[in-house]
Amino acid sequence: MQRRDFLSLALLAAPLPALAQAAPGKAAPVFALTDLDGRKVQLADLRGKYVVLEWNNPACPFVMKHYNSGNMQGLQKRFTGEGVQWIVVNSTAESHPEYLKPAELKAWLQTQGAAPTLAALDADGTIARAYAAKVTPHMYVIDPNGTLVYAGAIDDKRSANVADVKTATNYVVQAFAELRAGKQVSAASTNAYGCTIKFAVG
Amino acid sequence: MSSLLRFLLAASLLLANVAAGAQPVRVDHAEAELVAASDAVVPGQPLRLGLRLKHDPHWHTYWKVPGDSGLPTTLAWQLPSGFAAGEIEWPVPKRLPVGPLMNFGYDGELLLPVPVEVPATLAAGSSVLLKARGDWLICKDVCIPGGADLQLMLPVRAAASPSRHAALFDRARAHTPAPMTLEAATATIEDDRIRVGFLPPAGIETLEFFPLQESRIEPAAAQTLRNESGGAALYLTRAANASPEFTRLSGVLVANGGPEAAARGGWAGVIDLPLVAGSVAATAADAAVAATAGQAATMTLGAALLGALLGGLILNLMPCVFPVLSLKLLNLMQHQRADDAARQPHPSMRAHGLAFASGVVLSFVLLAGLLIGLRALGEQLGWGFQLQTPWVVAALTLLFFVIGLNLLGVFEFSFGGALASSGAAQRLQGDRLSGSFATGVLAVVVAAPCTAPFMGAALGYAVTQPAPIALAVFAVLGLGMAIPYLALTWVPALLRWLPRPGAWMLRFKQAMAFPMFAACVWLLWVLAQQVGIDVVALVLGGLVLMAFAAWAFGLAQMGAVRWRVAALLAAPLALYAVFGPTIADPPARAAVQTGDSWKAWSRAAQQERLAAGAPVFVDFTAAWCVTCQANKRLVLNRDAVRAAFAQSGVVMMRADWTNRDDEITRELARFNRNGVPLYVLYDKRGGIQVLPELLTEGIVLDALARL
Repeated sequence: MQRRDFLSLALLAAPLPALAQAAPGKAAPVFALTDLDGRKVQLADLRGKYVVLEWNNPACPFVMKHYNSGNMQGLQKRFTGEGVQWIVVNSTAESHPEYLKPAELKAWLQTQGAAPTLAALDADGTIARAYAAKVTPHMYVIDPNGTLVYAGAIDDKRSANVADVKTATNYVVQAFAELRAGKQVSAASTNAYGCTIKFAVG
Repeated sequence: MSSLLRFLLAASLLLANVAAGAQPVRVDHAEAELVAASDAVVPGQPLRLGLRLKHDPHWHTYWKVPGDSGLPTTLAWQLPSGFAAGEIEWPVPKRLPVGPLMNFGYDGELLLPVPVEVPATLAAGSSVLLKARGDWLICKDVCIPGGADLQLMLPVRAAASPSRHAALFDRARAHTPAPMTLEAATATIEDDRIRVGFLPPAGIETLEFFPLQESRIEPAAAQTLRNESGGAALYLTRAANASPEFTRLSGVLVANGGPEAAARGGWAGVIDLPLVAGSVAATAADAAVAATAGQAATMTLGAALLGALLGGLILNLMPCVFPVLSLKLLNLMQHQRADDAARQPHPSMRAHGLAFASGVVLSFVLLAGLLIGLRALGEQLGWGFQLQTPWVVAALTLLFFVIGLNLLGVFEFSFGGALASSGAAQRLQGDRLSGSFATGVLAVVVAAPCTAPFMGAALGYAVTQPAPIALAVFAVLGLGMAIPYLALTWVPALLRWLPRPGAWMLRFKQAMAFPMFAACVWLLWVLAQQVGIDVVALVLGGLVLMAFAAWAFGLAQMGAVRWRVAALLAAPLALYAVFGPTIADPPARAAVQTGDSWKAWSRAAQQERLAAGAPVFVDFTAAWCVTCQANKRLVLNRDAVRAAFAQSGVVMMRADWTNRDDEITRELARFNRNGVPLYVLYDKRGGIQVLPELLTEGIVLDALARL
């Protein structure tokens, strides 16, 4: 039996699976991460700025659809240029064959010409669970107040076919267009498509 | 090779294919083929075509609604003019767990049939080339987008015979769910809890729901089937990203294993119900526990109340309770008769009975309220929690020991008027209603350690219910316990059935000390598991000191007043020896005895084994749980059972709840349990069997045979 203090009591009182917590319109779950360069970043540090979370796994054909087409890099450049904090998160478990070490993911991002603000590993799946992220790519947009305003797919063409990128409606682009126009995000929650996140078991 | 030669080669290969109708195409991890149910096209007659996919072992593709990830298979047709292909007629899918997520799809050999309209203007004797592009996502642990350009050449004839694939089409048709009407079906939603209520067709043992629209229900959430008064209900969980247009619940219901298990009463059907707001009970459903209808056998409130009443009755016979109550009752009778003889006024027997009953019921309700309150605060407690705290176990040991000494006559003392004795003080107390009430309270205190081992699971159920129901169950338990006492005090005629008081009562009283000491032995064994043998030795030393104190106190009562000092010196030392070590040191988590093939359970370890492809059996147990110990000795440790476990390659894990363990408490809650024992057998495919609380060799062997 452990002695427990009020903090751990509060943690115990929290509902068990973090599945229903991340919902558009509600406060985005807080997280703390260490990026590929060893910098520590918390969501609270990014207050006042828009934040995009992009769940990534280079071994996933759906992720590659958006990198091979240059779509993802283009979005990263465009939005970081507008002051958005773009965070690439890779939640592949260390025990999974698709796991990449920080240096490997960094090298891969470089060869792809990716331009996120920062990238981080989440090998124990803590952040993914908090956001109920299930697939790669799974996309989230958090507004400057820390409210989650978009959660779901990158676009509406649910395929791994590079050719579909051109004709698809990109939900992240659409969300930002609406936010900048002072409107509500019309499609705030969509069904993400892609490869299952290779969670650590247990 | 020249390009001409290459062209000729390709052309001849193509011709060879056409001559044979079509050849299966080998693609990544599957074999794909465009097939027809008949061997020819008949002008104006509908044609059945289909995509046949034969997955490599452990690979799967997806259903119309793929679940947490994945993509449905698509077919793009290129047909001669006048032909028109319909939609895929999706056969019943399977649940395919991927870590904490859930997909819906197919493995093995699959046929996705499509009805095709054929123009009436076709000329018999010609042939038609039918083409389709199939696209799918094929996954094992990793996913690969797959696809193939497929074609099939068929002759046009006035009549056709079944093709060699006809049986495949027949099977697919039998597996394709049709719209069905469930009697008195309703769909209700409250927050994220969805309840589908219905009058069950005969013999539903398992029921699974596959949503026909995305973003409606949480794919991985447990689906719980319950028998309820007036029907049955399937509990689902709304998707975290549920669409605002979620106003109808439409999906496929698969009962008893579906059409594949038709011989065992399996079937499937499509339901489409309006979803209305209403109240839905919580089911402690947890996303990561796959739907298993084995858990469907949850109790109804009526059964729980009846069980509690019977359980309460049985408590009277427990070694810890029987001496207290029987002696109190006999004592009470004696006083009443004496008072009657002396014509002294006294409360009626009925009043005593009621006072006792209220003492019992209130104590149980208080104890339950405490448990519910602590749980509401977020403490991961289950029934039996009293026994997970070493100092409580030590205190009960001490209490039972002192009661035993008292029964033996070492000293005379009354615990709140509880114990029969002949002293003047007791005489007074025995006549007071407050004394009867206090007896009721004491009865619950001494009964509590008996309830946990024998009825932990049943009371655990009660605690998982809404508070009013839980409190009602505990109140009825108390009522059951009070019934014999109430009956005897209410109907004096019954008292005549009891033997007349006499000298035998003293011997009976002394003999009752031994069940008390036996209870001490058991509690000390529990304590040994919790804190180790060193602390138990200190507690035993404390008991010796307490025995000395009691003896000295007894001497003082008999007139040797100086001994009172010795008693007053020894008693605090005894208390220190008993409580010092049990309060101060939080016990190390009891080491699971892994001398044999049992491994210590943790959820992570369990998932790791399952991920490695091994079936896992988990024994949720506690040292203080008598049922658990009986199952262990009589069934799980038997040679035949051990051999069967070894043979089926099952990893045996033991989750020891002797001490408080939040992870185990949470895991129990996933199975709607709040107490041990619980036996769970996971197969490689994520299927779960929950075995009954009372095991037999046959039950375990059958469960292993079903792996």
